[in-house]
Amino acid sequence: MRGLLTSRYLVAVLAAACFAVCAPLIPGMATSGNLSNLVWNMLPLAVVTIGEVFVLIAGGIDLSVTAIIALCSVTGALVMNGRTGYLAGNPAAAPVAVLFMLLVGALLGFLNGCAVTRLRMPAFIVTLTTMMFFGGFAVWLTRSANIDALPPAFNGLAGFGTLTVAVVVALAAHRTLRHSIFGRWLYATGMNARASLVSGVPVHAVTIAAYSVSGLLAAAASVLYTARLETGSPVLGQRIFLDVIAAAVIGGTSLFGGRGTVAGTLAGVLFVALLDNSLNLLGVSFFLVFTAKGVVILVAALLDSAAQRVLGEAVE
Amino acid sequence: MRNNIAWIVLAAVMLAGCGDKTAGTSAGTIGVAFETLQTEYWVASRDGIAAELKKRNLNMLEAIADGDANRQFEQVRNFITRRVDGIIVVPKDAQTVVPMIREANRAGIPIVLFNRPPAKSDARSVTVVADNFSITKDTVAYLADQALKAPGKRQAAILIGDLGDINAIARRDGFEEALKPHAGRIEIVSRIPTEWNQEKALAGITNALQAHPSIDLIFVSSDLLLPSVVSALKSRGRYLKVGEPSHVVLGGFDGDATAYRMLTEGYLDATGVQDVGFDTAATVQAVVDLKAGKTVPETLLDPGFVIHRGNLAQVAPRMWGAGVRK
Repeated sequence: MRGLLTSRYLVAVLAAACFAVCAPLIPGMATSGNLSNLVWNMLPLAVVTIGEVFVLIAGGIDLSVTAIIALCSVTGALVMNGRTGYLAGNPAAAPVAVLFMLLVGALLGFLNGCAVTRLRMPAFIVTLTTMMFFGGFAVWLTRSANIDALPPAFNGLAGFGTLTVAVVVALAAHRTLRHSIFGRWLYATGMNARASLVSGVPVHAVTIAAYSVSGLLAAAASVLYTARLETGSPVLGQRIFLDVIAAAVIGGTSLFGGRGTVAGTLAGVLFVALLDNSLNLLGVSFFLVFTAKGVVILVAALLDSAAQRVLGEAVE
Repeated sequence: MRNNIAWIVLAAVMLAGCGDKTAGTSAGTIGVAFETLQTEYWVASRDGIAAELKKRNLNMLEAIADGDANRQFEQVRNFITRRVDGIIVVPKDAQTVVPMIREANRAGIPIVLFNRPPAKSDARSVTVVADNFSITKDTVAYLADQALKAPGKRQAAILIGDLGDINAIARRDGFEEALKPHAGRIEIVSRIPTEWNQEKALAGITNALQAHPSIDLIFVSSDLLLPSVVSALKSRGRYLKVGEPSHVVLGGFDGDATAYRMLTEGYLDATGVQDVGFDTAATVQAVVDLKAGKTVPETLLDPGFVIHRGNLAQVAPRMWGAGVRK
């Protein structure tokens, strides 16, 4: 039991246990259609959560990811929509809009990183402020209206494109964190920024890069969410922040920095998606669903924390 | 640790027990996806749909998207995976529901939209919606008649909902249309955007009353926003009963419990009522008919009605808010 508790795959094991318990009780849970739904539901969330994990590992937090998703969604839609878009009717509208969305996301992340490092402001305050600013700007740009009539080539990304993007992002992020000097700098910065600075780690540049990655991946998630709904929305993703943080923490990322992996994050995202999926298929009442979700996430986090304590004792 | 795992298993089993009610001899299962249940109107509608389904021996599989269109899409896909017999959706907006309808069409599952119609597309669905334009027009026409009982020019204000919501636009247009014939005597001095948000409504109406202290007529696009208007009027000493000097003619839309209480106490002149009983019955009937292969019109309009102090006793039994206990 101690071995299971301290396993790096504890969350994955919990997710599998949850599935094993629910599958016989919930009709349709174990069908190929539902499993495909489950994967399909978790992919965009995985992309945005991996970006957040970069910032968390570096010892920060990015509250603005949901606002970046919304702002990228409407800016991309303003460029490519078939009615009033700047590139309406142009065959290059979809690829140009996607590039523009990614550029906007990376730029917004870069601004967050600069504000945190250059202005020496707490990440929480900076990204809380930018969350309001970016979100408000998205609403102002569209006057609260959704933008539809997006090109079919763009909407087509909602299918196989989603899987491709998520796999590429996960592999690239894993490789960066495990096998690159930037990955090592990121962990070092999150563990002890001052010691890292003294040791020659370019802490400011690493922090700015982490926020830029977060912004870029939020934009990539925005592309996937927007394509899925075939609509640019100024409130897109507004309610997913808790899922992002829950998935990251359940997946073993520390809110104090210095710890987190892509594999753990994917397991955390799977757990959150599985929870949503099973509560949905159960038809649990709205008045119970948030409580049930909160309790299960709390239990998973407690188990993770117990595992860390056991690991700490083992080291001592 | 062993205890922890036991608790998890127990919790999962309890969840399964409390949620899955599809076993037994029901006539089928209908997936019901609400955007939110955070106002009385949605709760009353949810309860109405649940009652109508029960009446027809149909199980309800419910999901609430908490204002997130993506989550709602995932929930609808889950319904389709579960092979429900029909889907009822209260969409977040007109555009994001279109891919959901397409998915249901592809799976051959009938889909009915409650309260909000979809944007124009090739996707096939049925919508049950209140005639927002006409109900608002009739309500505001009544308010204008009350305001014009006093001599001289009058000033009017409207609290507009979320302009991404087609119902909010229809209510705004109904307001403008009703006041057109009185353009010489009633001037619209303030159009306040609220995005269905009470704080924004309070800030907006407070500013409007500051800029135009003699506003005589206020229409709120949803009764949900009435407390904001009441608060602003109280702070200026103008929250007065019908018939008192300086009373601001006040009207709303929805017919919730707050509006009912204000009507009975004499502070509210009128409100346009969405007939929740009609809407929920028509919605469930539509999904049943579609499942049976019958033809159902693309839009089923709820004519609604205006309730005011003159007809309160007569039509209150049809006002859903009158049945909500506060």
